[in-house]
Amino acid sequence: MLLFAGFVSLIFAVLMKDEPPEQAKLGGILFASFVATAVALGWLLFPFPL
Amino acid sequence: MGSKSRDSRRARVAAPPPRTAPAPDAARAWVAAALAWVIPGGGHLWLGRRQKGLIFLVALPVMFAIGLWLEGRLAPFDSSDPLGVATAFADLGNGLPYLIAKVAGLGEGRVVAASFEYGNTFTIASGLLNMLVCLDAYDVALGRK
Repeated sequence: MLLFAGFVSLIFAVLMKDEPPEQAKLGGILFASFVATAVALGWLLFPFPL
Repeated sequence: MGSKSRDSRRARVAAPPPRTAPAPDAARAWVAAALAWVIPGGGHLWLGRRQKGLIFLVALPVMFAIGLWLEGRLAPFDSSDPLGVATAFADLGNGLPYLIAKVAGLGEGRVVAASFEYGNTFTIASGLLNMLVCLDAYDVALGRK
């Protein structure tokens, strides 16, 4: 999941921003958002076994 | 009144033709998009965007390769399964790596493998991301970005 979030964040950041510092900032924000959302959803879905 | 309209007509005739902006080269944009599809990042490299092109050139095929390594399946174009067709279309977005994997017989997938769905996610996402890269290359070639 971390690997996937890393790749997707990297591609999106490079697509959306032109300058490397901006890319790094956006990539970091996206990566943190992906991971935080996944962990939050994981805990929220805990009471609902599939 | 008559002389006034005659004067303005004369002024219009004497004025130089309005300058128009050079038309964007649509053929160049299509070539960039096609190149970006065949070789992920190729369109950006061709347009002189080296940094972006190199990152796409490495990241997207690596993502696709991880998907195959995780025993993901390259979905066939089977009209009886509309969702499968959508998946196959997304896989096709990978361009040359997809064609090479198909020819080499990779991407058969192993449904019972624990990593099967993870592998599918990687191959599908890399194909869809490469489609976005194609659109970006098209926009760059048209001067929109």
